[in-house]
Amino acid sequence: MDLLELRDISKFYGNVKALQNIDLTVKQGEWLAIMGPSGSGKTTMMNIIGCMDKPSNGSVVLEGTDISKENAKNLTNIRRDKIGLIFQQFHLITYLTALENVMAAQYYHSMPDEKEALEALERVGLRDRARHLPSQLSGGEQQRVCIARALINYPMLILADEPTGNLDEMNEGIVLDIFKQLHRDGSTIVVVTHDPEVAEGTQRTVVLEHGRISRITQNENK
Amino acid sequence: MYFRMITSSLIRRRSRMIVALLAVAIGATILSGLVTIYYDIPRQMGQEFRSYGANLILVPSGDDTVLGYDVAERVKTFIAKDDAVGIAPYRYGTIKVNEQPLMAAGTDINEVKRTSPYWFITGQWPEADKEALIGQEVADLIRLSPGSRFTATGTDGGGNSFSRDFVVSGIVQTGGTEEAFIFMSLSDYGDMMGNSGGIDVVECSISASQTALDDIVSQISENIENVTPRLVKRVTESEGSVLSKLQALVYLVTVVVLLLTMICVATTMMAVVTERRKEIGLKKALGAANKSIVMEFLGEGLLLGAFGGLLGVALGFMFAQTVSMNVFSRPISFQSFLIPATLIISVAITGLACLIPVRNATDVDPAIVLRGE
Ligand SMILES: Nc1ncnc2c1ncn2[C@@H]1O[C@H](COP(=O)(O)OP(=O)(O)OP(=O)(O)O)[C@@H](O)[C@H]1O
Ligand SMILES: [Mg+2]
Repeated sequence: MDLLELRDISKFYGNVKALQNIDLTVKQGEWLAIMGPSGSGKTTMMNIIGCMDKPSNGSVVLEGTDISKENAKNLTNIRRDKIGLIFQQFHLITYLTALENVMAAQYYHSMPDEKEALEALERVGLRDRARHLPSQLSGGEQQRVCIARALINYPMLILADEPTGNLDEMNEGIVLDIFKQLHRDGSTIVVVTHDPEVAEGTQRTVVLEHGRISRITQNENK
Repeated sequence: MYFRMITSSLIRRRSRMIVALLAVAIGATILSGLVTIYYDIPRQMGQEFRSYGANLILVPSGDDTVLGYDVAERVKTFIAKDDAVGIAPYRYGTIKVNEQPLMAAGTDINEVKRTSPYWFITGQWPEADKEALIGQEVADLIRLSPGSRFTATGTDGGGNSFSRDFVVSGIVQTGGTEEAFIFMSLSDYGDMMGNSGGIDVVECSISASQTALDDIVSQISENIENVTPRLVKRVTESEGSVLSKLQALVYLVTVVVLLLTMICVATTMMAVVTERRKEIGLKKALGAANKSIVMEFLGEGLLLGAFGGLLGVALGFMFAQTVSMNVFSRPISFQSFLIPATLIISVAITGLACLIPVRNATDVDPAIVLRGE
């Protein structure tokens, strides 16, 4: 079943053609990598999929409904209910502890639940750091908090933009293991990466160049 | 969670928030300080004006030539306790010192200190029995200085002659008729002259508005027989107009300060919000509705306003106290209504000041978060 379908998407910033005529479908449970040189439109595409931006042309169909014409308020609701976001720069709220950061996502979604939030941190191996502020955590730990936060509301689609871009090899390994586990559990994941090692683990790699899809490779063994 | 988030934001972002808190607190301080002074001006200045003498004088009327000894006590019942600055009864009579006829006045020395604070004394006010305060003219006439002794002679109310020794405690200068008198306590005076007569005049210094004074006058005329209360009008009226002008001035300053505070708090909040665009973008990316974000900033603003206001009440009182001590040399009275009033005003102002930047905050595009701005 197709979870997400991009139909002839284009995005212009003034004269800059960030994306041009993109067609792409993502299946339920699929693990997809998006690669490409800097400026090729990867983040732009993530923003559109993540309901944070609207395409200039074309339509985005999520779970059979076209969301490209929705207003900002509805997009916020869709994002809240269906999408989990993981960022290269982690983007934790600096004045909240790891636990509170996870609980904030619960709060915006529905009801904060401390026990559940602690379990989420446990899953990423950070239960004992729950009461630490982001400034007291290493980059890898912050990224794991970010992942716990992205997963807390059981999103149907996980979007990660360069999740390992700021991490060393060991932490990259930890994060990749979490992704693998998520994939095994049936999550749909779209990950933007420069790192071929990350892409290798996925089922399919989409390569962007100058705002167009230049190549799609299927990783047969997966 | 909401409360946890806003308190965390305030506490863990201390250095930033202290700036905003200071802005609010300083505004609230000046505001509550000025209002305290505004309300205290009539009291303070009223007492200041009282320095220029009594504003109500009681003299005998009808068949009586003197007032009863209890008249001062009876009059007090018609004057609010805090308004009565001083009520001084006087008995006058003639005595001789070194064969010179002079005017003696028996009075309540402690009350005179209050009704006539402008008296300039060389030496001291009389404290013990048989001490007298003499006017400058008397001192010149019979060559007395503080510490000198003199003997007063004369005849009392019953026609018997007397002779009493006094010590000069001090010399009084007023530039007025007082300089021709010898002042002593009522008991010393009674000891010489006997107590068959009564009080000749009562001078009252009352700190009250014109209408309140008029009210006191009519009460006294109605309730105490054979007493004519007389207002010393001139001082009281000019006092009123000066007071209202002063109050208007302070009022104006208060309004200006209020506006400045609002601008100051608004810019501070604006800076706070601008600084946190990324955080706002992130919260929106996490699915926060605009309403939640507005509520969070407003909540922070209101908490700031409440704390700043509380701080302002305390500091404002200290500020008013300092001003009062320096300008009027008197402690100021605390207006308890200022606690809720300052709190409400500073909460309202910070709330209002937050609204504009917070409205802008909701325009933040969540897409900036992935872009890593
Ligand atoms: N807000 C914007 N206004 C104007 N141009 C923009 C804006 N956002 C992105 N662009 C342009 O769109 C193009 C694609 O940008 P995008 O961020 O999607 O690239 P990317 O593939 O994510 O690059 P990187 O690997 O460096 O993150 C770039 O040329 C960029 O300059
Ligand atoms: Mg990018």
